[in-house]
Amino acid sequence: MFLPNNPLVVLSLVVFLPAAAALLICFLPKGSSNLIKTFSFCVTFAVFLVTLLIAIPGGSDAESLRFAMGNGEIQHAFSVDWIPSFNIYYFFGIDGISFPLIILTSFLCMLAMAASFPIEKHVKAYCILFLLLETGMLGVFMALDFFLFYVFWEVMLLPMYFLIGVWGGPRKEYAAIKFFLFTLVGSVLMLVALLMLYFASDLNTLSPQQLTACKIDSSVVQQTPEGPIHTFNLLALAEMGQMENSPFDQDLLWGKSIQWWAFLLLLLGFLVKVPAVPIHTWLPDAHVEAPTPISMILAGVLLKMGGYGILRICYPICPAAAYELAWFVCGLGALSMVYGAFAAMAQKDFKRLVAYSSISHMGYVVLGMGVWTITAGNLMSTDYWSLGMNGAMFQMVAHGISSAGMFFMVGVIYERVHHRDLDKFGGLFAKMPIYSGMAMGIFFAALGLPGLCGFIGEVLVTLSVWKYSAVLAVISASVVILTAAYILWTIQRVYLGPEYKGPHGESLHRMTPREIAIGAPLLALAVLFGVWPRAVLDYTTPSVNKTLGDMAVWMERVELPRLKIEREETLHEEEITDNPIAPDLTKPAPSSVSSLTSRETESAR
Amino acid sequence: MNLDLLLPRMLGLAWLLPLASFVLILFFGRRMGRAGKGAGYLATGAILAGTLFSWSAMLLWVADYPPPGDELVHHAPAVTAVEGGHATENQVVADHHEPVAEADSHATHVESPAPISGEWYALCQFGSLEITIGYYIDALTLIMFCMVTLVASCIHIYSFGYMHEELEEVEDPQVTLSNGKKLRRKGRFHRFYQYLSLFCFSMLGLVIAGNIAMVFVFWELVGICSYFLIGFYIERKSASNAANKAFIVNRVGDFGFLVGLMVIWATLGTFSFSQIFEQVRPAEAEHALTVPDGMVALSAQSEIEQIVISAPDQKTALAQIETKLPDWRAQGYGYGLLVVVGIGVFCGCVGKSAQFPLHVWLPDAMEGPTPVSALIHAATMVAAGVYLVGRFYPVFTPEVLMVIAVIGLITLFMAATIAITATDIKQVLAYSTVSQLGYMTMSLGLGGWLAGLFHLITHAFFKSLLFLCSGSVIHAVGTNEMPKMGGLRKVMPWTATTMLVGCLAISGAGIPLLFGLSGYHSKDSILAQAFLFGQENGATGNLFFWFAAAGAAITAFYMFRLWYMTFAGKPRDAHAAEHAHESPWSMVGPLVVLAVMATVAGWNLPFTGLGARPLIEQARPAGTHLGIANETLTFPAEHLSHSHEVHVPTSLIAFFTALGGFLLATAMYGLKRLDPNQARRRFAPLYWCFKRKWWFDELYHAIFVRPVLRIADAVAATDRGLIDRLVDSIAYGARSLAAADDWIDRTFVDGTVNGIARWTYATGNWFRGLQSGHLGQYIVTAAVGMVGLFILATLYWSYAIAG
Repeated sequence: MFLPNNPLVVLSLVVFLPAAAALLICFLPKGSSNLIKTFSFCVTFAVFLVTLLIAIPGGSDAESLRFAMGNGEIQHAFSVDWIPSFNIYYFFGIDGISFPLIILTSFLCMLAMAASFPIEKHVKAYCILFLLLETGMLGVFMALDFFLFYVFWEVMLLPMYFLIGVWGGPRKEYAAIKFFLFTLVGSVLMLVALLMLYFASDLNTLSPQQLTACKIDSSVVQQTPEGPIHTFNLLALAEMGQMENSPFDQDLLWGKSIQWWAFLLLLLGFLVKVPAVPIHTWLPDAHVEAPTPISMILAGVLLKMGGYGILRICYPICPAAAYELAWFVCGLGALSMVYGAFAAMAQKDFKRLVAYSSISHMGYVVLGMGVWTITAGNLMSTDYWSLGMNGAMFQMVAHGISSAGMFFMVGVIYERVHHRDLDKFGGLFAKMPIYSGMAMGIFFAALGLPGLCGFIGEVLVTLSVWKYSAVLAVISASVVILTAAYILWTIQRVYLGPEYKGPHGESLHRMTPREIAIGAPLLALAVLFGVWPRAVLDYTTPSVNKTLGDMAVWMERVELPRLKIEREETLHEEEITDNPIAPDLTKPAPSSVSSLTSRETESAR
Repeated sequence: MNLDLLLPRMLGLAWLLPLASFVLILFFGRRMGRAGKGAGYLATGAILAGTLFSWSAMLLWVADYPPPGDELVHHAPAVTAVEGGHATENQVVADHHEPVAEADSHATHVESPAPISGEWYALCQFGSLEITIGYYIDALTLIMFCMVTLVASCIHIYSFGYMHEELEEVEDPQVTLSNGKKLRRKGRFHRFYQYLSLFCFSMLGLVIAGNIAMVFVFWELVGICSYFLIGFYIERKSASNAANKAFIVNRVGDFGFLVGLMVIWATLGTFSFSQIFEQVRPAEAEHALTVPDGMVALSAQSEIEQIVISAPDQKTALAQIETKLPDWRAQGYGYGLLVVVGIGVFCGCVGKSAQFPLHVWLPDAMEGPTPVSALIHAATMVAAGVYLVGRFYPVFTPEVLMVIAVIGLITLFMAATIAITATDIKQVLAYSTVSQLGYMTMSLGLGGWLAGLFHLITHAFFKSLLFLCSGSVIHAVGTNEMPKMGGLRKVMPWTATTMLVGCLAISGAGIPLLFGLSGYHSKDSILAQAFLFGQENGATGNLFFWFAAAGAAITAFYMFRLWYMTFAGKPRDAHAAEHAHESPWSMVGPLVVLAVMATVAGWNLPFTGLGARPLIEQARPAGTHLGIANETLTFPAEHLSHSHEVHVPTSLIAFFTALGGFLLATAMYGLKRLDPNQARRRFAPLYWCFKRKWWFDELYHAIFVRPVLRIADAVAATDRGLIDRLVDSIAYGARSLAAADDWIDRTFVDGTVNGIARWTYATGNWFRGLQSGHLGQYIVTAAVGMVGLFILATLYWSYAIAG
């Protein structure tokens, strides 16, 4: 099967095929619910096939639409005018950061659609919303225009609201509104930052080569030579953010620059989605109330958007702010890991427990992204951050697999006995051996057992942390104990024991072939990524390393000279005030410079 | 053929065959033969083939590198100081037993054959950092392979007999259902072998691992196999509790291990054993312990930062740092990190090898089937911690060694005391295992590298033998409780005899100064090293020896107590006695094999230098033959303990203390001359302390388990009570605001509008009243109006004119 060699066609097809199918479903008769479900599944399957075809490596020629391995740049990018008066473009592209998440999305959507077959209520509306949701999610991962990104972000929000609010459990309205409001707050923060960056940007500051690299026609600049030309182009914004005398360095409020505020707003906006403690409480409620397939999507894909946004937008555009706030990012990551694990331990509701485990596991992602180790004290080495950030990427994929699997496993049992009370299970191993075996496999993947996917992500992140901060490293390592405790305790309460203790024990029949067909690929991937992590890392590493290379260049070009100047000023001041003898250069200067790294030095001893 | 190519392949096959067996049983287990019996054959075949490969690999190795025998090894006299630590100059301890050796010490020090190391496969790579799956093969790896595969094979075969009930439907007497009946379930014969295969794969992977990250991977995998097998009877609450406890307590140790790994990774940028050892014991420094550059640099991060910032370019900065490194090292930078690495890795050992204070999981782990206890919780997995300490030995600083020794000492003594009072046959053996592991750990900590690892090998044989014998007894009488046994020697002669061999071996029986069972040789080496350590380090140093010697007496006492209570005298429980029978050949055969090994494992092959001890000595890490010291502690070189001044007194003391323990046990339980109950009453406080296992479980429950659960509840409550309430109250506030806004809208805005409207309407209405349609009324109104206007106008104008 060959794909047309036009990225515009293929990427648009991937994103809008579900939406087009949703439109088509509008015209299908209401009663044919099986037809609608089958059709929707075929669509998600087709989307998955297309992404899979792109993923198969081997496209060496430039024309091919295969994903070029080892290339860290944006691939298959295209840019078409959309709203020219505001310089808004229909600008898509993929790279090693977005592509693994795209294929994860299409894969999980397919499985979630397969898991949607038991749904009998308003099937038509459900399928339409589900497909719209898929379009929104894929669009978020492909958009390279900030405005377009924002639009897709909002597009995905509404179907999710209805999917929880209509097909959810008893407290669905509360959960749906909570989800909606939290996400909306995040969106508003993002919108403010978006406009701030837009109005501070100026394409005139970029060289023609940079413009071409950002897929911007340099004629745009020539046509209107006077006045700033604003842009939403994410690549162009990144170029501006990383240059010396960046336009985003102007003071905005309370002595902080535009990029500091933009970083903070964007970070908070994305962290709502991740979610990080303490802005996480929408997640347990949303998960508990959402129907099983929607929980799978929510945990498997939606949470990844937060991580993706941080990696794609926050760091490249606002490096100075990211450097300054690295402790904040890492601190929130570590806090989420510990807090989520403790909270999971206290839960009585199976689904709530899995939801809190998601918070804990996504903490690794935030921590891994934040470990800014490209410092003078580390001789500007990018290796450890590369480990952390690739670990975070891997953890996102791994968590996508394991959390979707866990929610599915909870769903399978919920469908049979209609309760989720952890104290009223037990003995499932005897009644449903295949199910129990699969579920334990998936849970062990979440526990971080070697040979399964969770281990790799956790270990890569954890190993990168000591170089940044010993205290955080010890905290993050201690989470392995808590994780083991709550997962093993869960397994004991649900699967082991002599007999089932809850209601509807008679309906505990074995897994159906459809359920096995959903669970097995998840477990297989958990094993595959666990023993062959390069199946993911080979995609992510070049792009992550490119981002880190940019950060390293920024450190060398912008931050290091600034530190030098600062140091000279300090020395100069000292000489003037009270120290007639030249200071010893090997001793750390007592003031501002050393305060920058005091955290690291105290941890290293 | 070239060993460098052949050995990795042979051991690799031995390692992967059980994995293949695991995968096959996982998918097709139940369909293999009747009730999955074929799974047993498959797993046994895989491990037997692995045994064959391992032992042939060993033969090839011995052919190429014949070990030099005990006498020739290591007569280098000095004790090295730690380079870059807080070392002082004059710590060279003279070799005081062999003046000749001093002159040609370097000539007689036999260089160990270089380990064969390499990589099979890279898991991931980031810049210069790489995590791989590789191998590191030396004599220690080989001997571990031979031991593990042999013991595992015995246990695979033994399990055919022991687990045969699992071939049919099983009634579990320990599980009562809610309807009052006993649980009946399908047999899980194939599952048992499936887990055993996975365990063998994991354990061999741990041993062959070429880097410490790979050790960690398989470390976790053996942990999960242990979890599965302890919890094999998944219906029993006690079993699943014990399995959870084992895994979680191990994870506590793994947490320390992981911290150690983090530091290694952050400072050295590699996990590979050979590269770590090269950096920690550089050849330029004659393999003396040196703080590696990476650790110095990480400690001196702020200094480096200053240099980089002030230097004109990166190159000069690097050159400056290069020159500064030795200064920093001399100032002690990075030494702390080296200690953290050592302690961290040892934490892993504390968890896995059930050392104090994490020993609590091992006795509970006896919930698993007895062959599992023999294989995992006696011979192999629990010894993995000791193996790791032995493997990672070059990295330990004197401070770390001291910690290791003290932990080992506490463990060996405390566990031995608990074993005295236990009445469950497996519990006695479990605490005995903890105690013996304590011996190994202490030995390694005191500088007795060879002695500790040697004891690991001999212990593996005699302890698996003891467990299998106990399994045979349990199988026969259907209970674990020794008070219900007695007099079994007549019905179970094979078991009784082989168990007697095991008891003698663990007690270190032998003719002093000549030869003995395997335990005699290894325990003597440990005691000799402890004695030597005491001589070098004064009074407190002697504690190690005396406590270890006392431990040896206790060991002999509780082992023979066990034997007498089980096999001697008359049957105490009629039901159990009539049930009793000798076990089938599949169980007795492995017992005999292991009994032979427990006897001879400490011997060298006659007329050659071939034996476990010289072979292990071949693997001695470079630089460790010299011992190590700092200004307060001296860890003497191990070969010094072979001298007669050390060897003779320790050998005699060990013999007589063990004999004392044996005689006391004989008097109390064999000949019944002394009454155990009387002793129990007289030493009641001690008895209860031992009986309640020093209250560790209660203590941990109070200080760890409960607080953690409390914190968890508090966190969950924070979520609901604080964060959610905040969110909800914001939402409520917004709604109230909206309601207020609505009220304002209704009352004021709408009120005004509606008021105006109402007023207009009312006015209009009133006016409508006027429009009655009567012409007369209109005319009257018009007339009155006219008159009114007229009056008004007149008044106005008149005033205006007047004003």
